[in-house]
Amino acid sequence: MKREDGLLTQKFDKLLIANRGEIAMRILRACHELGIQTVAVYSDADRNAPHVRYANEAYNIGPAPARESYLVMDKLIEVAKRSGAQAIHPGYGFLAERAEFAQKCVDNDIVFVGPPARAIAIMGDKQEARQTVKAAGVPIVPGTEPGLNDEEMVAAADNIGYPLLVKAVAGGGGKGMRPVHRAEDLPDAIAAARREALAAFGDDVVYLEKMITEARHIEIQLLADSHGNTIYLGERECSLQRRHQKLIEESPSFVVDEDLRRRMGEVAVAAAEAVHYANAGTIEFLVDKDKNFYFLEMNTRLQVEHPVTELVTGIDIVQEMLRVARGRKLRFTQEDVTLKGWAIECRINAEDPYNNYLPSTGTITTVRVPTGPGVRVDTGVFPGYEITPFYDSMISKLICYGETRGEVVLRMRRALQEYRIMGVKTNIPFHQIMVESHRFLTGQFDTSFVETRFSMDEDDGETHEMEAAILAALAAHKQGLHASQIVAPGERDTSNWKWLSRWERLRR
Amino acid sequence: MKYYTQVNNQDFEIDIDHEDEITVNGETYTIDFQTLAEAGLTSLLINNRSLEGAVEERGDVWEVLMLGKLYAVKVQDERSYRLAQARGVTTESGGGDVKAPMPGMIIAVPVSVGDVVQKGDKVIILESMKMENELRAPRDGVVVQVRTEPGASVEKDQLLVVISEEKGEIELEVEE
Repeated sequence: MKREDGLLTQKFDKLLIANRGEIAMRILRACHELGIQTVAVYSDADRNAPHVRYANEAYNIGPAPARESYLVMDKLIEVAKRSGAQAIHPGYGFLAERAEFAQKCVDNDIVFVGPPARAIAIMGDKQEARQTVKAAGVPIVPGTEPGLNDEEMVAAADNIGYPLLVKAVAGGGGKGMRPVHRAEDLPDAIAAARREALAAFGDDVVYLEKMITEARHIEIQLLADSHGNTIYLGERECSLQRRHQKLIEESPSFVVDEDLRRRMGEVAVAAAEAVHYANAGTIEFLVDKDKNFYFLEMNTRLQVEHPVTELVTGIDIVQEMLRVARGRKLRFTQEDVTLKGWAIECRINAEDPYNNYLPSTGTITTVRVPTGPGVRVDTGVFPGYEITPFYDSMISKLICYGETRGEVVLRMRRALQEYRIMGVKTNIPFHQIMVESHRFLTGQFDTSFVETRFSMDEDDGETHEMEAAILAALAAHKQGLHASQIVAPGERDTSNWKWLSRWERLRR
Repeated sequence: MKYYTQVNNQDFEIDIDHEDEITVNGETYTIDFQTLAEAGLTSLLINNRSLEGAVEERGDVWEVLMLGKLYAVKVQDERSYRLAQARGVTTESGGGDVKAPMPGMIIAVPVSVGDVVQKGDKVIILESMKMENELRAPRDGVVVQVRTEPGASVEKDQLLVVISEEKGEIELEVEE
């Protein structure tokens, strides 16, 4: 079936994954479980990546910078045609929310595993999205129209009131967004947001929006088929963020009860139906302390944090995406969806929580992921993998499941202890301190918590300096003996001092 | 052999003279130490307490990852320790250097030579990984060198700003 708004659904048995890293692996696994052949694409930096090695076929699409490889639409279409792939899954990031790409796929009779191009375009334009969902009865946060000049925005700001946010029309993931608490800071914030948006998206149009304080970021996962059925799969609590980058997500949320879940779910379904949505999508809401909720935006793609929903609903979201893209009806009705247990995801990033969370580049030398009951790790890194500025700094998603929140927190603590990553600094210590913190355990946090009230100094966990010193000394000692034996086998009676100097010469 | 180790400002004197025994600050423990085939992983039984650590030599320290935490351990054998003592070399060096933690482009340099800064003050704004990253002063002091400017592309570990320890210390530093 081909719709005028850019939706094509039909059967396919070979799919191209227009992505890399953990999400490429996630999609590949769903395909293989459904008997769909997979075609990977890779940049020069990713030849040895697991998504290349695990796919049925793989094609090089150019140099490491994404704009010369993963973002080049025509190369992807060309590889799909050359390999005989009848569908493309975009994953998240890269081309996932580019209406032009979705349309290009359809124009080439390739199924785009996602929503119709028109829905992506509407929801991708923040202002049009606000107007569209508002007309459908969805509550939105007060703000200005886009396209005002700096003076007009400064004038409008007094009516909206402080604090407020400067947001880029083309923005996302916190880029091109600036919070402003005082009128005198507004001009600088507008300039910074414009500069960042121009650099990241080639578009410096910004607008203002009232900042909801003590807000939680709670989102509703949706699934829709091309037969007019849309259901919600409960909520995800994503309030633990830093600079608008999510760090920990969980489902369900501490503050959402059965009634609020139903009301948010129904509003989310209405927002999706307003754009004739199909496939998986997410409506992000801000929820204030009085449990009023406001539409923030719709993400017209699979989300990073989809696994927590999969664990509590038992629904494999990526498999459902593939099924509805093949034109099938949803296998579930709203009544079939129940939440059971509790799931938490920690995003493991290559960044140094002790140094202002600066990204840490370098080569990963050792990786051993936690396993065992209730633990899932979605990752695309391996020993020898290089964290480069070309791609994002996420190493993996550590997801734990338990019957209760208490059980899953203890499980996450255990899993974080088991995780071994060497070669780059990671934010595992951040997660360890967070999951032990009183506020996390009691669910008392909002979107500003990490930045304003959380400190790495709150660590009251045990440290093991002496044990670390012992391990280091033993390793150094063993290396010294080993090196000296290579230099001088059979000279066992040589003094240690001679061994040592030989070893040092060798290592120079 | 005797090793002098330092980690998080704690010192441990460690004697390793036997395969199954270790003495730490005068106290002796029974040990069994194994390096696993998987790169960097080690297993230690110390008085039958089991510890697994990932251990790796990196620059002039040994990095040890244990129970999620990363420790940077300085290990010196007796000779290098004595030499360092004799020379009076302090282990503190480069404490005022601000280096690029990753390649990127300089967006702004909010300080100039002669500025008095406090630990945590913004000194460089570096764009990398599509984000603006703030690099902060590693200690209180005076900016004595600024080796970059807005718009410059920088490499990982490139020296950007040098902050001297005290106000009176401003002097020409020798170029590396």
